[in-house]
Amino acid sequence: MATQQATVDQLIAAPVARAQVGLWTDAWRRLRRNRLALVSAAYLIALAATALVGIVYTPYPYAHQGVGLPYQGPSAAHLLGTDQAGRDILSRMIIGAQISLIVGLATQTVVVVVGVPLGLVAGYFKGWIDTALSFVISVFYGIPDILVAMILIVIIGKPGLGTIIVAIAATRWMDMARLTRGQTLSLREREFIEASRATGGRSTKILFGHLLPNALGPIIVQATLGIPAAILFEAFLSFLGLGVPPPTPSWGSMAADGIHAMRISPHIVLAPAIGLSITLMAFNFLGDGLRDALDPRQKR
Amino acid sequence: MSGPILEVRDLHTQFYTDDGVVQAVNGVSFDLHEGESLGIVGESGCGKSMTALSIMGLVPEPGRVTGGQIRLRGQDLLRLRPEDMREVRGRDVAMIFQDPLSSLNPVLRNGFQIEEAMLAHKELPRRQALERAVGLLRKVRVPAPEARARDYPFQLSGGMRQRTMIAMGLANDPSVLIADEPTTALDVTVQAQILELLRDLNRELNTAIIMITHNLGVVAGLCSRVLVMYAGQIVEEGPVDEIFEHPQHPYTWALLRSVPRIDALRHDRLRSIEGLPPDLISPPSGCRFHPRCPFRIDRCFREEPPLERIAEGRLAACWVTMERAYAEMGAGQLVDVRPGAGSGVHGLQEERVG
Amino acid sequence: MKGSLLYIGQRTLLIAFTALAVSSIVFIGIHRLPGDAFVSERLRPSQQQALLHQYGLDRPLLVQYRDFMTNLVLHGDLGQSVANRGVRITPLVLREATVSAEIGAAALIFTIGLGLLFGVAGAIRQNSWVDYALSATSVVGFSMPNFVIATFLLLVFGIWLQNLTGGGFFYEIGWDGAYGNPAEIIVPAFALGFPYASFVARLTRASMLEVIRQDYIRTARAKGLAEQVVIVRHALRNALIPVVTILGPLVIGIVTGSVVIENIFGIPGLGKEFVQSILNRDYNIVIGVFTGYAALIGLANLTVDLIYPLIDPRIRY
Repeated sequence: MATQQATVDQLIAAPVARAQVGLWTDAWRRLRRNRLALVSAAYLIALAATALVGIVYTPYPYAHQGVGLPYQGPSAAHLLGTDQAGRDILSRMIIGAQISLIVGLATQTVVVVVGVPLGLVAGYFKGWIDTALSFVISVFYGIPDILVAMILIVIIGKPGLGTIIVAIAATRWMDMARLTRGQTLSLREREFIEASRATGGRSTKILFGHLLPNALGPIIVQATLGIPAAILFEAFLSFLGLGVPPPTPSWGSMAADGIHAMRISPHIVLAPAIGLSITLMAFNFLGDGLRDALDPRQKR
Repeated sequence: MSGPILEVRDLHTQFYTDDGVVQAVNGVSFDLHEGESLGIVGESGCGKSMTALSIMGLVPEPGRVTGGQIRLRGQDLLRLRPEDMREVRGRDVAMIFQDPLSSLNPVLRNGFQIEEAMLAHKELPRRQALERAVGLLRKVRVPAPEARARDYPFQLSGGMRQRTMIAMGLANDPSVLIADEPTTALDVTVQAQILELLRDLNRELNTAIIMITHNLGVVAGLCSRVLVMYAGQIVEEGPVDEIFEHPQHPYTWALLRSVPRIDALRHDRLRSIEGLPPDLISPPSGCRFHPRCPFRIDRCFREEPPLERIAEGRLAACWVTMERAYAEMGAGQLVDVRPGAGSGVHGLQEERVG
Repeated sequence: MKGSLLYIGQRTLLIAFTALAVSSIVFIGIHRLPGDAFVSERLRPSQQQALLHQYGLDRPLLVQYRDFMTNLVLHGDLGQSVANRGVRITPLVLREATVSAEIGAAALIFTIGLGLLFGVAGAIRQNSWVDYALSATSVVGFSMPNFVIATFLLLVFGIWLQNLTGGGFFYEIGWDGAYGNPAEIIVPAFALGFPYASFVARLTRASMLEVIRQDYIRTARAKGLAEQVVIVRHALRNALIPVVTILGPLVIGIVTGSVVIENIFGIPGLGKEFVQSILNRDYNIVIGVFTGYAALIGLANLTVDLIYPLIDPRIRY
């Protein structure tokens, strides 16, 4: 009898010990097993490092024309060759990486700063604020993003990094606002919010002190997942000539330049094209991996 | 009633899951005669549906029929090539399912779904198929059948939908119609209508019906013979009235006792069968019912009883049988139906473990 | 039937209103910067003033707006180009909108066709190498910017395989939308449609996987239907329902992509005009293009909404 009792105790104790492994550790474990996501993450870290290095050093000054003969293919002196103005492509690619990453991060920051408070307020107070916000959101959704961005660029007038960031953010804030609103709507019914209200907490304190921290998870995921789309958009705009002005090289404008010379020097367009493709693919694989890892419906 | 049109011999169906091999159907054998209405009764998970799906060749992944024979008019269905089995399916043997709302395709018209059943096996001009479909709907007592044929499933009531399914099943005049819990999802009054319909169709068309259900009342209303299944095996078989009045297997006995009676006294407790359904991956040793049986003896723990003939047309798989339980264990006076309550093995060491 | 006609009527009216609203917004937004209109021409201040006066651009905003709206609503007249004087905008926009619509429709065929194919194939052979290969192709498809895909295609078809396209992509497209060589549409339409095919593929695959587990699929098999019929007639038709819901955003995505594709391939559609007019500061055309886009998108969405009841009979208008 005594031995049987001991086994029963063990049986009871074991499952509890396992359940204490939390959501994040589980997610991390799953993510680690996703080879593609890990490779992508490694690549992106390397890219960011290169971009950072580029602040102080590039093989050649990126804007200097004529550091080499134009239209040269890859060689020992110029690892990625030279473009139509004799500029070193590798150096320009590094700066281009900076532009892409800056635009990606800055845009999403603006999106969060604008979209989250709007979503919080609309979801918490509901009523006419919510209706108004929903209306504005659907108007924005109805217009293709390129049109919105371009019209904003026209209205703002001065081309530049800031203009692009604002223009792109204007096409992406709706998703964040909608997500935050949804999170707020479901969280506001939870007991701890009621408790705060009951003890007479002020609305802003509740909103930012209690609701926001709990909604932070999906917000961060969404913000991160939006980075590749922002980078893609910037490439589009630069390709069309509406992005950062020359001589600053964006991968998009480099590709546009390269198309004209495609017959004689395909490498001019290939370098930024491949760079964009791989970087975006890496972001997408990583994003997919993150989403799968955090999905509570996974069995293990 | 002539020779059997369907002979199932030692059917085994297994599921290969991550947790182990589930023995869903474990050595099932029975005959079905022409025009007969056979009931298969048992609790959820006892293998009755899986037996039917095995006959139809519709066992879903990760399951597979792993042994035995299923002879339809002498031809072993398990040895057929997939294309040939597809011809048999829906033409010689048809099956209707439990929930008619989810079992009918929501985006196709009702009439078309019946026509499809015919056109799959026979070349017919569309107009003729439509006429036959309307005729079938009329036969299953759907009012205004032409209009209903043009409608979609979501426009019909539950009873109408089930009738449509029955019409679909009978479209090619099959020898056997298998009905898997056809009334479980319906209102009680509609249930009665559907059962009456099936009874009349069975008589009129001489189509053999296999009725699968966990509801003994349904069996009583429709079937002439019944199989009782437990843990993937048949534990008792015989004519309906005899099984109801003199069940021989303790499981059947307990099942019948557990049906609440409208004339029971208020203070009578509801009697359920104690214990949990058996683990089909590693089933109990000996007789699979022994952990829950009030009348078990030593032998039940060790040896699995075969399904044997205990009387004319009666089969049971039990070392004890209710006859002995009444005679020697006082089953008639038994109030407490715990495992082992009547048998005197109450108090055995094995009983306490897990 | 009558209900449907009423619905179509209502929607058409809505489209007209939306187009007007869009042109108003753009009009007002743009006309806050009148001076830029002739900046590219480097005129002397007096000449610039004269031109502004000729175009009525020196009048108060409200007056300009009133005139603009009157012309638009009563005569469908969008005015004339500022950079190329004498070019009337409405015929221009109509012509280019037709071109964009044709390329867009062709692209949509690629998107839906390839997407459905990939999705169904992946679902039937779930977790096989076919499934993984198709999935990977899809990810590549929407990761690469469409101008990258277009560039590769240009390399392959424009330069390496000149026979297919004759080397260049300049079109002679008349108002009736006749193409010189249908093969010329294929490459740009593919470049435009392929990135979105992956969305359709993913959704179709997930939807098919769910549908295949449904009871009515079991019923269809129990009737003895051939597997092919079960997949196409029973499974796919139900699986398409969620796919139709993304057709709206899909159309908008194709419009977005067309701006770039038209520029690369030199297709005289709205997209090319759009970029050009912005670079030229030809604001009247910008307004016209926007209006054209609003109408085009509205019509496309209406068409999509009309497709719904064909697939799912539970939806009625």
